Amino acid sequence: MTPITNSFSSNLAAAWARPAMGKTAGTASSVAGDTSVAAPGSRFGDMLSEMVQKTDASQKTSAATTGAMLSGQNVPLHQVMIASEEASISFQLMLEVRNKLLDGYQELMRMQV
Amino acid sequence: MTEALFGSVNYMAEKRSLDACVERQRALASNIANLETPGFRRMDVPAQFRSQLSEAVRRQDVSSMNTLRPNAVIDSSAPARTPDGNSVNLTDELVAMQDNGLEHSLHIQMISGRMSRLRAAISGRMS
Amino acid sequence: MNLIPGANSASQGLRAEQVRLEVISQNIANARTTKTADGGPYQRQSVRFKAALGDAMAAQSSSSAKNEPTLEIVRDPRPAVRVYQPGHPDSDKEGFVAYPAINIHEEMADLISANRSYEANIAVMRNGRALAQQALSIGKR
Repeated sequence: MTPITNSFSSNLAAAWARPAMGKTAGTASSVAGDTSVAAPGSRFGDMLSEMVQKTDASQKTSAATTGAMLSGQNVPLHQVMIASEEASISFQLMLEVRNKLLDGYQELMRMQV
Repeated sequence: MTEALFGSVNYMAEKRSLDACVERQRALASNIANLETPGFRRMDVPAQFRSQLSEAVRRQDVSSMNTLRPNAVIDSSAPARTPDGNSVNLTDELVAMQDNGLEHSLHIQMISGRMSRLRAAISGRMS
Repeated sequence: MNLIPGANSASQGLRAEQVRLEVISQNIANARTTKTADGGPYQRQSVRFKAALGDAMAAQSSSSAKNEPTLEIVRDPRPAVRVYQPGHPDSDKEGFVAYPAINIHEEMADLISANRSYEANIAVMRNGRALAQQALSIGKR
């Protein structure tokens, strides 16, 4: 589990470091093994939207499995429970990332210029 | 994101093993119900499934893990117990059912444990 | 809903064994019945489990519909036992009374076997329910 949190905090750090570095952002690609030279923040934006999509997909899977079971189809109970838990955890992850981003933004706003 | 959370081969192996336990329970239930049915051959999840699963884990092979599905088939190695060909032995089935129950419990705990560890990692708190 | 694995098979098995137990108790209760509604002595009944479907391999291989036990009640063709009892109200002109061909020991053995199967199916139900309850506790905090 620690690899996940490590890469997130390092990605977050990368996202906030880039705007501060200004025009040199594109060349400073030493963070978290990132080799692509993209415009500042766009890689992070892609990552966020991908995460939202994946979370949404897992919610849909869970809803479909539960619906199938409730309508009498032959879905085993444990699969329904597992799908529901996976969706819940994905959602919780997305929520935490959003919270951390918000905290980071507020921290930035509080900085004296 | 979800691949990092739920895409590990070990986790998928746990889920497949759980599927196998449930399928096995169905087969054992059918065996016991048909204790006296003439000509009924006992069914079970084949032993190869377990070896195929551990092989896939050893090779860290996600694709074969996806296609591996446990299915109960006729146990051809079970000898006929009665002249009519019924191969169900009540004691064996009951013992197998106890075994299966414990294995089911094990996999549930492994999966549940992973879920709570993930939640702890995400929220930064243990409970 | 498919919450308890094996519940279908178990309930079919329970139903079959229940019928069997009823038939056996009826036999035991009527072991000495010399005159029934249709005149003669009580005719012993027994149950016969229907054989696994003809295309057994194919039927058993389909994982969705596991074979479910069915049975039929048949009349035992054994002839009545004639006992010499001239004083009996149901004795014929030679003084013989026709008793049902029911052997209590045979019925008791059958009863014990049916009971054992019945309890095994109950155990299946109990185990299946335990599995379902464990599954419900996935991720419970």
